[in-house]
Amino acid sequence: MAVYVYSITFKDHPLRLDGLDGVGAAPSPLRTVTAGPLCAVVSDAPEELRPKRRDIGAHQEVQQRLMSDGAVLPLRFGYIAPDDESVRFALKERADAYADLLSRLDGCAEYHLKASQDEETMLREILSESEAARQLNDAIRDGTADPDAAMRLGELVAQEVQARQETLASRVIEALRPFAKDVEPGLPGGADFLNVSFLVEAEQEEIFLATELSLAHQMGEGFDFRLNGPLPPYSFS
Amino acid sequence: MTVVPQTGGGPARSGGSGNLYDVLELILDRGLVIDVFVRVSLVGIEILKIDARIVVASVDTYLRFAEACNRLDLESGSKSPSKLTDLVGDSVESGAHGKSKGALSGAADAVTETIQGITGRDSDDEAEDEDAVEEDEGQEETVERRRRPARRSSRRERTASREEE
Repeated sequence: MAVYVYSITFKDHPLRLDGLDGVGAAPSPLRTVTAGPLCAVVSDAPEELRPKRRDIGAHQEVQQRLMSDGAVLPLRFGYIAPDDESVRFALKERADAYADLLSRLDGCAEYHLKASQDEETMLREILSESEAARQLNDAIRDGTADPDAAMRLGELVAQEVQARQETLASRVIEALRPFAKDVEPGLPGGADFLNVSFLVEAEQEEIFLATELSLAHQMGEGFDFRLNGPLPPYSFS
Repeated sequence: MTVVPQTGGGPARSGGSGNLYDVLELILDRGLVIDVFVRVSLVGIEILKIDARIVVASVDTYLRFAEACNRLDLESGSKSPSKLTDLVGDSVESGAHGKSKGALSGAADAVTETIQGITGRDSDDEAEDEDAVEEDEGQEETVERRRRPARRSSRRERTASREEE
């Protein structure tokens, strides 16, 4: 019987999973497969599993519930093992690596930070600080510019945007790095210029959050900071 | 073993399922992978990855920026923009060198108050409970992005006024 695998924990984890549903339209109960000091949380896999919000939510909820009582290694969504025995085998095969990882993650949570900048604010800043850009822009508005002026202005602005946002992103990351056990940068999407995950120990959580809040506050209304956490440590598993 | 608080009273900005979109990439792209296991088909979900921001050196991008500059009403700028980078530079650099411990510990003093003010993501931020993530991803993204700046700004303002007044 194929099994869907959610997480790996130490065997002595309290594993309070009451009331939680597994994945699938008619979810099977959550249960465990144990090998040595480790334990995997699984459920019998549904006939067909498509990545619906409900299932992704179920996967995430299992992690969050487990996290509140102890270290958890969250699996990436969507992984199915042929049977219990193969799960047991996987736990035995990498027992030391998983145990080390769990110990490292114990008492830590992931915080995921994204940020975007209001385009208008950014453009005003660039125009105010770059004479070349300002002159091009003025000339285009006056109608006195060359035909290729818009392209040149656009290229100049694009380069400025890129440079400034890279600088901002790395400043934010470096400001928060001292309060994190680990940092995992990501690829910003959409309008974002910053996408980064931090692994934060419980003892540093308060100062980490205060620093992030202070940073966001100082950077002001032209910026939109979105901090998610505490999260199961997907990025550090 | 230290327990990390999960629910309401803790310092969580958002940990509930209402904000699944922002953490979707973590659940789908990160996390432990056990090679011998088989992954379910994610046809449709791949759409999320295409959203990657690319600062493309392209005609389209350049012209769009030029057009945006053209449209700016420079007389009615909302505020002096020049100080932003300086602010970040000063505060971040001195923080990194450990000089302005005052700034950080001052922030830490205000932590309890501000952290209590940081609720979990507002309930009105929850997208409808649709089943199919992939079909509605485009809509969700647009809705969230449109809403978020206004809401986040007001939160910042509330926080700021609490600290300042």
